Amino acid sequence: MTALLEVKDLTKAFGTVKAVDGIHFTIAEGHCVALLGPNGAGKTTTIRMIAGLLKQTSGQMVFKGAGNRGEHRELIGYLPQTPSFHNWMTGFEFVVYAGQLCGLTSAEAKKSAKELVERVGIAGAAKRRIGSYSGGMKQRLGLAQALVHRPKLLVMDEPVSALDPIGRREVLDLLRELKRETTVLFSTHVLHDAEALCDDVIIIREGKVALQGAIETIRDERRKPIINLQLENDESSRQWLALFIQTIRDEKRLANQLSLFETAEQHEGAASFAVKDVDAARQLLIGEMARNQIKISKLEVGHSSLEDLFMKVVGE
Amino acid sequence: MKGAANTSNKLDPTSFMTSSFIRYLVMVQKELLEQARSYKLLWVPLVFVLLGIMQPVSTYYMPVILEHAGSLPEGTVIDIPMPLGAEVLAQTLQQFGTLGMLVLVLACMGTVSGERLSGVSAIILVKPISASAYISSKWTSMLLLAWGSLAAGYLASWYYTGLLIGETPIVQAYESMLVYGLWLSAVMTITLLFSTWLRSSAAAAFAALGGALMLTLLASLFPKQLGWTPGALSGFAYQLAAAGTPDSSTLSAAVVVTIVCMLGSISLAALQLRKSLAAE
Repeated sequence: MTALLEVKDLTKAFGTVKAVDGIHFTIAEGHCVALLGPNGAGKTTTIRMIAGLLKQTSGQMVFKGAGNRGEHRELIGYLPQTPSFHNWMTGFEFVVYAGQLCGLTSAEAKKSAKELVERVGIAGAAKRRIGSYSGGMKQRLGLAQALVHRPKLLVMDEPVSALDPIGRREVLDLLRELKRETTVLFSTHVLHDAEALCDDVIIIREGKVALQGAIETIRDERRKPIINLQLENDESSRQWLALFIQTIRDEKRLANQLSLFETAEQHEGAASFAVKDVDAARQLLIGEMARNQIKISKLEVGHSSLEDLFMKVVGE
Repeated sequence: MKGAANTSNKLDPTSFMTSSFIRYLVMVQKELLEQARSYKLLWVPLVFVLLGIMQPVSTYYMPVILEHAGSLPEGTVIDIPMPLGAEVLAQTLQQFGTLGMLVLVLACMGTVSGERLSGVSAIILVKPISASAYISSKWTSMLLLAWGSLAAGYLASWYYTGLLIGETPIVQAYESMLVYGLWLSAVMTITLLFSTWLRSSAAAAFAALGGALMLTLLASLFPKQLGWTPGALSGFAYQLAAAGTPDSSTLSAAVVVTIVCMLGSISLAALQLRKSLAAE
C-alpha cells in the first residue's frame, strides 16, 4: 500500500475565516476515501484545492508521480458538485474534447469516450446536445469526462447530493464499479454513502480532521456491543434489576478490569448495557435471571451504530 | 502551470511544446465549432456584408431616394455629385466602425465571463492546460471571426462600388483593410480582457465599447500628440481607403504600439484568469 496523495497541513483562509485549518491526511493507492462532514465543514474547499482550482494559503500536497503542483492535474479526474458543460456540444463531443485537453490524440480520445459513454450509461444520448440532459445524465457525463484520460485519482465533490433517489443509486452503483480500477476521493455529508462505498473515511469538522481511518477499523474500535434488556413490570423483577445494576456500578467503581460490563443504564423496566464480551455477558445475564426467576419480555443484542459515532464526533 | 512547464521542459522540451500547442489547437477548434453552432459564424459576416453592400448602393440611389421622399416641391433639381469609389470605401469602413464593431463586441462579450458564470470553466481549467493557452485560443477564434467578417464585408463593398460608382485599385482597398483589421483586432482584444476581468458579459461589452470610443476620441482630439496610439488606426484606414497618403512613420508607430498593446492585454488576461481562479 503506497500513498498516492499526501496532504500536509493544508490551510485555506478567506479573510480571517479559516475554512480549512491544517488538514493532514494520506490517500492510499487503490483506496476509496470519503471526506465526510456536515455542511460548511470545509469539504468543498479541500476538494477544490486538491483539484487545483483553489490555491491553498499554506501547506502542501504531494502526489506520487508528480514533482510539483501543476503537473498533478494530469493525474486527477475532477467532478464538481453541479457540473455544467458546453450545452451546444453533444455528450460524446464533450468527452472527446476533455480527453484531448488531457493530451490524448483525437483517435485515442474517441476510443476512450466511446467506451466511457457506454459504461456510464449515456450511450443512447451521446449524440444529443447536452442542453437536453437531465441532472442524473449530466452527473454521468461528468464522470465520463473526468475518467477519459484514465486518472490516477478521481476527485468528486458531493457526487450524489443533488440527485433524486433513483439517480443517486445508479451513480453509487457506478462508483462501486469504478473504485475497483482507480483511487477515489469524494466528499459527502451522508454517512450512509460513505459507509456503502468506502474503505477509508476522513471526518472533518470546522476545517479540521476530527477522525480518520479505515471504516472497518473505526467501526471495530469505536463500535461497542450493546445488550438491551426489558423486563415485565413486576415488583421482584424491578428490584432485581436495580440491584444488578448497582452491583455493576460497584464493580466499576472498584475498577475491576474483569468486569464484563462497561456501562449500564436503567430506564424504568428496561436497561441497556455496553459490554466487552457479548457472549459471556449474555450468558451471565441469562443465568442470573433464570436463577432469580425474572420475567424477561425482551433481550436484544446489537451495536452502537456508525451514525451514533458520526453524530458524536461531529457534534462534540 | 509554470511549474509544469519547467519540469516537462527539462524532460523533453519539444514534446511539451507540441503537446501544449496541440491542446491550444483543440481549443481553437472548439471555439470555432461553438461559433458555428451558435450561428455567429453566419450572421456576423452577414451583417458586415450587408453593411458593405448598403453603402455603395445607397450612395448610388441617393438621388432616386430623395426624389421619392415626396417632401420636395415640384420641379426640384437634385444634383448630387457622385463621390469617388475610394470615398465610398472609406464610408464603408466608418459603417463597420459603428454597427459592425457593436455586433462583433456583442458576439464575443461572454467568451470568458459566460463560461465562468455557467461553471464550465471549473471543468475545463482543471485539465492540464495553461491559462495562456485558454486565453489565446479564445483570442485566435475572435480574431478569425473579426477578420473573416471584415474581409467578406469589405470585398462585397469593393465589388459593388466598382459596379455602381467607380473602380478602385484593389491594393488601396487591401492596405486600408489591413490597418482597419488591426484596429478591430485591438477592440476584440480589449473585449477579451474585460470579459476575463469582469463577471458580467454586459459590463465587459460596455467597457470594451467605451474603451474603443475613448481611444478613437483621444486620437482624433489630439492627432499630433496621440497619432501613434491604437485609436488613430481607424482614421489611418479611412485615409488609406480614400487614397490619401498618411504619415507613414506615425502609421507604423501606431501599428507597432497596437501589436505590443494586444500582446500585453492577452498576457494580462491570462494572468487575471490565473489569479481569479486562485482567489475564488
